[in-house]
Amino acid sequence: MGPERELFWKIGPGWLFYALAALAVGLLLVGTAAHLQLWMKSSLKGKVAFSREALKQTLSDVFLGLRVLKGEVAAGIMHALIFWGFLVLTIGTAILLVHEHLSSFLVGTSHLAFEVAMEIGGLILLGGILWALVRRYVQRVPRLERRLEDALVPLWLLVVVGSGFILEGIRLASQKPEWANWSFVGAWAAGFISPGIAESSYPYLWWGHALLSLGFVAVIPFTKLFHILGAPAAYYLHHSSEVSIKASLFSRDLAQAPVNEDEVAPETGEAALDFAETPLNLADIAFYDACMRCGRCVQVCPSAGAGEAFAPRDFIQATIRALWKEHSRVGDIRLFTKDQVIDPKVPWHCTTCAACLEVCPVYGAAFEAVSKKRTTLILEGTGVPDLMNQTLERLFNYENPWVSSKREKAAWTKDLDIPALTKDGKEVDFCYFVGCTTSIDARTQAIAKSFSSILKHAGVSFGVLGEKEPCCGDIARVVGEVGLFEEKKMNCLDLFSRYDIKEVVTSSPHCFHAFLNEYPEKNFGVRHYSLVLKELIGQGRIRFKTNGKRTAVTYHDPCYLGRHNRIFEEPREVIRSIPGIQLVEMDHHGADSLCCGAGGGRMWQGKELDGEARMSEIRVREARATGAELLITACPLCLIMLEDALKTLGFEKELRAMDLNELVLSSLELAGNNLM
Amino acid sequence: MKEPKIIVCAKQIPDPEAPFSNVSVNVEKKEVVVDAPDVISPYDENALEAAIRIKEEVGGKITVLSMGRKVSDTVLRKTVAAGADALILLEDAAFERLDSRSIAFVLSSAIKKIGEYDLILTGRQAGDWDSGQVGLILAELLGIPSISLARSIKIKDDSVVVEKLVPVGYEVVEAELPALVTVSNEVGELRYVARTKMMALLRRPISIPKWGTKQLELSVEALNPVQLMELCPPPDMRRECVFIEGASSDEKAGKLAAVFKELR
Repeated sequence: MGPERELFWKIGPGWLFYALAALAVGLLLVGTAAHLQLWMKSSLKGKVAFSREALKQTLSDVFLGLRVLKGEVAAGIMHALIFWGFLVLTIGTAILLVHEHLSSFLVGTSHLAFEVAMEIGGLILLGGILWALVRRYVQRVPRLERRLEDALVPLWLLVVVGSGFILEGIRLASQKPEWANWSFVGAWAAGFISPGIAESSYPYLWWGHALLSLGFVAVIPFTKLFHILGAPAAYYLHHSSEVSIKASLFSRDLAQAPVNEDEVAPETGEAALDFAETPLNLADIAFYDACMRCGRCVQVCPSAGAGEAFAPRDFIQATIRALWKEHSRVGDIRLFTKDQVIDPKVPWHCTTCAACLEVCPVYGAAFEAVSKKRTTLILEGTGVPDLMNQTLERLFNYENPWVSSKREKAAWTKDLDIPALTKDGKEVDFCYFVGCTTSIDARTQAIAKSFSSILKHAGVSFGVLGEKEPCCGDIARVVGEVGLFEEKKMNCLDLFSRYDIKEVVTSSPHCFHAFLNEYPEKNFGVRHYSLVLKELIGQGRIRFKTNGKRTAVTYHDPCYLGRHNRIFEEPREVIRSIPGIQLVEMDHHGADSLCCGAGGGRMWQGKELDGEARMSEIRVREARATGAELLITACPLCLIMLEDALKTLGFEKELRAMDLNELVLSSLELAGNNLM
Repeated sequence: MKEPKIIVCAKQIPDPEAPFSNVSVNVEKKEVVVDAPDVISPYDENALEAAIRIKEEVGGKITVLSMGRKVSDTVLRKTVAAGADALILLEDAAFERLDSRSIAFVLSSAIKKIGEYDLILTGRQAGDWDSGQVGLILAELLGIPSISLARSIKIKDDSVVVEKLVPVGYEVVEAELPALVTVSNEVGELRYVARTKMMALLRRPISIPKWGTKQLELSVEALNPVQLMELCPPPDMRRECVFIEGASSDEKAGKLAAVFKELR
């Protein structure tokens, strides 16, 4: 007889094992069905279409594990070891069954290859588990929680693998096959075992190992191990939904769902709102359900980082818990979960900066979950903070979120000779959409003034809407006021079509994002001003003065320009093209940039949401550490926040906050203006 | 007790939160010109919020009464969207610029026409003229007890228990129903009314009774317009911020003293 393994050596009835295996698989299937039922019940009804491209991306995400590796090499390798070890052993065990019952092909060389593969699989799994335990309990990586489940799951797997090797050692010690050394770990273990003990203890150990292994399969849907199934599903749903990394905060079907007049309650109109009760789609729920609390989102969340009472992970966990309780017939089937009390203020912390999406291994946009919760709170009406309530009223009544009138929107153009598109009817290259904050706030008006001066210098024809300029509605959108956003959107679309506007350039990354991604009906092009500057420099239409002096500047990425719309390089290219300007980067830059704290409606929220530190102050300290003289940004909200933080920290003398336009204008040849 | 029938009096006024540039005072015509959308007077919104919370706790029915020369049901429908059950508009050309007693008189006629009620809530004062009289006069005309400046209102058996603001805190006052309570902002802002909710409500026809002098069987002679003696523009509130530069504290202090001297 050549190299081979007897499957049920010394083990009584094989059928008992298969009965138990069937039970384990049954539990796995029933549990998984419960998850699926939850997904279907708590999401908007929609079809999941088959997409080859999505499948391809899903497979690459699953097998390459790049999302897990991204930015977290140690964790990524740890996960890869466990993943591949687990996969090899699972497939190996399946092959063994095929060999036993269908065709005996594992003989001779193929058996030896099989044994070696299983040894390696077991070893890397073992290594991965030990590393995971070390990271969580020895290194105590801060983002990792240490709940009972977190210890139990890896220890369980550790015992399964360890007992597997010991079993093999016993078998080899007692059978002493001549090919034993191919199973190098088992053979090594065999050296410690006397054949007599081996033979008598083998059946007990075998059943122990078998029960633990089958149990492990059975508990997958009932523990955080569900991510084994949930994560691939989340990947597929993420890739197949049209919502890509350019995140959309809520599904458009929500705002556009037709109101069913027949179902409207006679007095209150309540029933008409039923459609808005579940603003979640399948991809959202798959992500919530696949979340295994790795805490990467908490690590990068600027709000959590400032010590505020918000952590994306906890929010997601509370959300999925609530969904289980609300939508599952059998309640929450997951063991080790408990109710979490979430303060009603919690959803108002998030700045929607999308840092969480950047790092989440399952593409989870926690900020979208927050916005969806806000949508519900806005509809209920009672959980809306007073300041937000007032801001939305102002936005509705006065077309801006500030305590100002629409008629103030043209005030900055006084004495500047800026063509008004509403009056002159002139042909222009584009409409400069100044935006509420840039138009109204005294500091940020400098953005508009400098941009206009640059455009004039470059000989670009443009115009503004002046007093008629509406609000793009983005603030309403991020705080979950879906209806108000839709109204503002229709308003903008009407106005743009009335004045035949085909190209729009915005000051604010927020208006830019809204027009670009949240106005699916638009028939105009939209750019952020940084793209225009880059283009003008590229065309040689902007001439910089040569300057002997060298100035170090650092650049703060606005979230809605950078992370949300992937415009990282263009503003930097503009900065680098200015003679005498040297760009130094902060620790957090590009996709890892830190939010200034103004997004998600936070600009109009009170101090009661603040934590130990202010996000803007954290950012400004990082900027100061670069040693730069100027802190450049490309968003009016960032400019206000950063400049304010420079003042409160007393850094004004060392570091100045400036808009990219101001920097460019101050470096222009023939800069015949008095702005700088 | 049975579920209370609550009446909330809500006045429609030009937005008192309107940006300053939208407000001007015409001294000759004795007119404040506000170029701003009409809203419900904020204290009346507080009163409505108090009513809705009572309804959420013990049930009941809320009827909103709004009175004026011309009352917009678009503005007032917000009360229904927020949680009121019925809306009655008191509209008549004769209702323009009435004095507080006359307003209270019209409201009392309307409330008598409604008939049954347990609790009447009004704002502590209107957000435009800030007279703060209508609520209390209304209670007198109806012959029911009244409590002013409520920061919290609870229904207990057949009485209302109110935390009434006083300059150094609050008193807890109880009155038998029916009673009238004027509500202060400490009660809390009216819950947010989402636009989708509002739009859904605006799209569907609901019956909103409109009562004028005829329906209320009032004679116009019984109503007195308010006599405005004088109207002054608000004082010039512009501020200027100057940093006093100087090499030493003494020099700065000297310059500061010079500024004070000049201003005196």
